[in-house]
Amino acid sequence: MRKRLTAMAFAAAVLMAQTTRSVWDGVYTADQAKRGQDLYSKECASCHGSDLTGGESAPALAGPGFLSNWTTLTVGDLFERTRVSMPENNPGKLSRAQVADLTAYLLSANRFPAGKTELDKQTEVLKQIRIDAEKK
Amino acid sequence: MSKCPGALYALIAIAGIAVSSAQPAAAQTKDTEWPTYGADLANTRYRPLDQINASNFSQLELAWVFKTDNLGTRPEYKLEGTPLMVKGVLYATGGTRRSVVALDAASGEVLWVHGEHEGERAMAAPRQLSGRGVAYWTDGKEERVLYVTPGYRLVALDAKTGVPVHTFGENGLVDLKLNDDQAIFPDLTTGEIGLQSAPTIAGNTIIIGASFREGMTPKSMRNNKGYVRGFDVRTGKRLWIFHTIPTKTEPGYDSWLNGSAEYTGNTGVWTQISVDEKRGLVYLPVESPTGDYYGGHRPGNDLYGESLVCVDLKTGERKWHFQLVHHPLWDMDISSAPILADITVEGRAVPAVAVPSKQGILYVFDRVTGKPVWPIEEKPAPQGDVPGEWYSPTQPIPSKPPAYARNGVAVDDLINFTPALRDQAQTLIAKYRIGPVFTPPVESKLDGPLATLTLGTASGGTNWPGGSYDPETHTVYAYACNACLTPIGLMKSPKELSDMAYVAGTAGQEVRMRAGPGENAGADSVAAVAAGRGAGGGRAGRGGGAGRGAAAPAESAPPAAAPPARAGGGGGGGMTVQGLPLIKPPYATISAINLDRGEIVWQVAHGETPDAIKNNPALKGLDIPRTGQSGYNIGTLVTKSLVIAGDSLITTTSSATRGAMLRAYDKTSGKEVGAVTMPAPQSGSPMTYMWNGRQYIVIAISGGAYSGEYRAYRLPDER
Repeated sequence: MRKRLTAMAFAAAVLMAQTTRSVWDGVYTADQAKRGQDLYSKECASCHGSDLTGGESAPALAGPGFLSNWTTLTVGDLFERTRVSMPENNPGKLSRAQVADLTAYLLSANRFPAGKTELDKQTEVLKQIRIDAEKK
Repeated sequence: MSKCPGALYALIAIAGIAVSSAQPAAAQTKDTEWPTYGADLANTRYRPLDQINASNFSQLELAWVFKTDNLGTRPEYKLEGTPLMVKGVLYATGGTRRSVVALDAASGEVLWVHGEHEGERAMAAPRQLSGRGVAYWTDGKEERVLYVTPGYRLVALDAKTGVPVHTFGENGLVDLKLNDDQAIFPDLTTGEIGLQSAPTIAGNTIIIGASFREGMTPKSMRNNKGYVRGFDVRTGKRLWIFHTIPTKTEPGYDSWLNGSAEYTGNTGVWTQISVDEKRGLVYLPVESPTGDYYGGHRPGNDLYGESLVCVDLKTGERKWHFQLVHHPLWDMDISSAPILADITVEGRAVPAVAVPSKQGILYVFDRVTGKPVWPIEEKPAPQGDVPGEWYSPTQPIPSKPPAYARNGVAVDDLINFTPALRDQAQTLIAKYRIGPVFTPPVESKLDGPLATLTLGTASGGTNWPGGSYDPETHTVYAYACNACLTPIGLMKSPKELSDMAYVAGTAGQEVRMRAGPGENAGADSVAAVAAGRGAGGGRAGRGGGAGRGAAAPAESAPPAAAPPARAGGGGGGGMTVQGLPLIKPPYATISAINLDRGEIVWQVAHGETPDAIKNNPALKGLDIPRTGQSGYNIGTLVTKSLVIAGDSLITTTSSATRGAMLRAYDKTSGKEVGAVTMPAPQSGSPMTYMWNGRQYIVIAISGGAYSGEYRAYRLPDER
């Protein structure tokens, strides 16, 4: 029994360690966000709006509503949702690196600070970065 | 593999389960079942059940969940259905293929599944994904379930087995692109017309409308027309047709100047239809003509665009009509099912029809005569100056009841948490035209105006979920978005985009074709077919019988997208002030409107205050009452004592749980009396039923990172 508890405590500790970083920790670079912006205007803007404001057909990707839907989830969740479902008329078209660039652009548009390291393209790594609407 | 041009039946009949065998001979009463999309043909969304009430709502437990991911080639994030419940069986649509499922009402167990593989026809469909639901019919012996496929085919299934009824149409199927008093262009496969709503069945007549692409950027001023038809439920034979755009010999044709009725299309009925069976009257809520925001190619009032039309159930002949918006320019489709209500006004019994609207106005008529119950006056309407546009000098404004949601933008509607925020908002809107309801769109210019800022237009107000009605107290309950800001700007259309003179666009930005929700996202969409998962190419064909899979496994399939709600704590996407919505709260409301008096009895903000507002540093120290959440997918349910609806956004609750609440309000006061947490927002309207002595509430949820599912709630088992 004790062994099991220890194992559980260890698992909990790992889980916490996995999400200790947040989008406030400079998790992408400005260059990456710029690449993402170019890609966004080609692949995403027709539905989500040139300024990420959304439209009749698609939700805004910046602002309070967007953040409400994603806060406390991880950048990995957002990355995965985009990777497997977007663009809607041809999901799977974009490479992991491109989706990482796009995700970086979304983070910058939502005013999370840029940093010195690019956003990774591995879902598992991105799942360690928490989305917090407000800085904690 | 056989290759036939038609549809492929994919039927999973689960061996050994006959739908009716396990059920006791239940007393079928109208109070305990939910036999049609809106509970009844009056579209009340009301059931006088009270096992779940104020004292126990918060104790509700999950009875079962039905995940729709594998009903199609990829998961769907936009599940909008309301299931039916008849004799212990739920019938619903779901998934990217819009499959039909029969589920056990107590356990959620799958009894059968039916899906149509429509290949290119579904790929080109204007309205893909899971749709809103099915219709049920019985003559006391035979039972049928009917629905419309993404490719616009009407299918009749045996309710007990899910097998197509071969005596209906051609082997169970009627091609709705045929026999429509028009040649659907350019061809039957790609011709733009479809339907996402549930069929309506009254007596032995099925009533079917039509839907099209979103109309912000039409490909052409010419389009197919959205006529409404009646069909025989036994044979599938067409009984009648109503021309929502009159032909040359019909009254109303001359409301389209310059012969524009000839080529203008759309003007369909895409939301739910209501029927007064006793009087044999059908109520058709008609949408906008071609071009949501530019009407220069269709000068005139454009009947029956944005009109409520009453037709005869037997013949489809028009009895009366009332145009709610002349010469539509705001996408104020009549989006809500008309609600039939027997009311008492100044001591006089009135058979009424009440129509909630995107513009936040409840229009109330005598449903026999079409006469407004309270005067509706033609009032001068704001005019515009877009080249080539035609403007109606007046628009009808009801004297009662008062508007229940914002339907124009004034400075007073802007964010007002602090004077500084209001100032910033005023700066932000300086380049936009604002004004009251019916302020028309502008040609977008870099120096301004960029657009007309509107509320109560494309998103509403009250959109497709419509309202509810309590026949005991003669009260309409309607959810409305109060902050779904839609900037409407027009740009000259590039020739390669459209032959329209103007389409939606913003100066300084490329004019783009704007896609609608779910367009190209169904099970048979380009990507799915390319990957060999859909029914295109060699897989198109028609088969059937047990053992044939509904679709290829979905484990590696990319999900279909389109989250249901236009996100935004206050809508309007990025038009924010320090991360706060431009429009002040409440961002959404539920209103109770008494129809005997034409008065709003109560109104509450619906939805938790979004986290981004609760935690915004600019609002630190301010005490902000619940703001509600903007969104246009929220529908209500009324029971003996409660009004029930879910949140449209995810928030963090006081117990730090992340979720969207399903809420219950005391229907007499609007006071919240209970809530349970759901893992995703409400995306389809809730329904309720009683089965084996227990009351259930079933609701569709999806959106954001969460794919669609139906959830059934009931009280804990006390045994």
